[in-house]
Amino acid sequence: MSAHESSWTLRRLHAGELPPPEANRVREHAETCEACGAALRSFADAQATFEAEVPFEGFEAGVERARARQASRAPATRAQWVRPLMAVAASVLVLVLARPLLETGGRTEPVPPPVAGNRIKGGAGAELRIGGGVEPQRVASTESPEALRPGERVRLGYTADAYRYVAALSVDARGEVTPLYPESGDSLAVEPGAGQHWLPESVEFTGAGAERVVLVLTDAPLSMEALSDAARKAFDAAGRDVTRMAPLDVAGAQTQWILLKP
Amino acid sequence: MTGPTPLALKVVPPRPTEDRRAVLRELYVKYGGSVRERCRYLLKDASRAEDAMHDVFARALVHGESFRAEASPLTWLMKIATHHCLNQLRAEGAAWRRWFARDEAARSEGHGGSEAMETRDLVRKLLARVDAETQAAAIHYHVDGMTLEEVAAVLGRSVPTVRKRLEQFAKLGGEELSVR
Repeated sequence: MSAHESSWTLRRLHAGELPPPEANRVREHAETCEACGAALRSFADAQATFEAEVPFEGFEAGVERARARQASRAPATRAQWVRPLMAVAASVLVLVLARPLLETGGRTEPVPPPVAGNRIKGGAGAELRIGGGVEPQRVASTESPEALRPGERVRLGYTADAYRYVAALSVDARGEVTPLYPESGDSLAVEPGAGQHWLPESVEFTGAGAERVVLVLTDAPLSMEALSDAARKAFDAAGRDVTRMAPLDVAGAQTQWILLKP
Repeated sequence: MTGPTPLALKVVPPRPTEDRRAVLRELYVKYGGSVRERCRYLLKDASRAEDAMHDVFARALVHGESFRAEASPLTWLMKIATHHCLNQLRAEGAAWRRWFARDEAARSEGHGGSEAMETRDLVRKLLARVDAETQAAAIHYHVDGMTLEEVAAVLGRSVPTVRKRLEQFAKLGGEELSVR
């Protein structure tokens, strides 16, 4: 075994990652070992050079640009509906083709950003629309995280088809669950009539980081307490990573979106 | 335009908020130099390395809580940085070969030949000749100075598998790359 500490151990010491007993041992060694002391100093020098060459404000701006870029091209990784998907392919195709025409007054060019939605069980589905900022309204994709700009709010819509109840909640990056519709009690009876209905009020998510929004359609009333518990369990099961949560373990059909708060 | 008519605003207030700026500043102070160094080592271009570094920290922000729950954020960041840069080089195809040729040219203009070449330079020279997993293993072992166990943990492979890959890599570079 080498008499010197490994470069990796020294780098972790420099980053403050070693547990105290090991950190003390390695630090004491580095104080008396020329090679290890020099390596440790080189890490500090490299960091100092980095900070001198890349001021924090520039670094922060670059990271934010990268974050927005990643959000706009993130691959589809999350399942949104837990019901059988036999009817999904055709209905999503209809939505994707039809919606841009609706929103452009018949012009054929696509409306950025991409439109997404869900249709199951013959026509049930959900939509999350973003608006209220300086940009035109847009429909949030269920396929990738959607970056919110300052001041933007969201509105949730659903097409119930045969389902009778609707509920929605959100989960933030720390796993805090917020019942949205309703805020307590049991899920709401769906609005009568075919077609899409909008849940009341716009929602503004303040704070920062990722926020997962879940809309659930069910045949029977569902308590928001039970739905919130299911969300917490899904968050824990995903290693407390809100971006990796699986569909909630509740009956009915659900759609999920990930929003990246500004 | 179709869409909801404006209605009352329902505000979801900040829950235990995380100050992203504070988080990013901590990452900047603790890991910025190391990640930039890794990106520069692999991409050999200051501008591209800076872009790659931004990508790596952006991913750390998106992964938020799970990233900070890592026993070693440094390990996570260096793994992601290494993977990101190698992918970038690989995706460029022809550029990868030019990158390799440039490394060769730089070496021939040097003053000591392969004997004087530092291990990290030797490793970089040989990367284009091995598969992706061996590339990552070689970088973490020879450049980062991780133990076999640490490399195995980073790659999600067994120690014997990592050892075998590193021994194959060593055959390309000689004694200097032997696995202990």
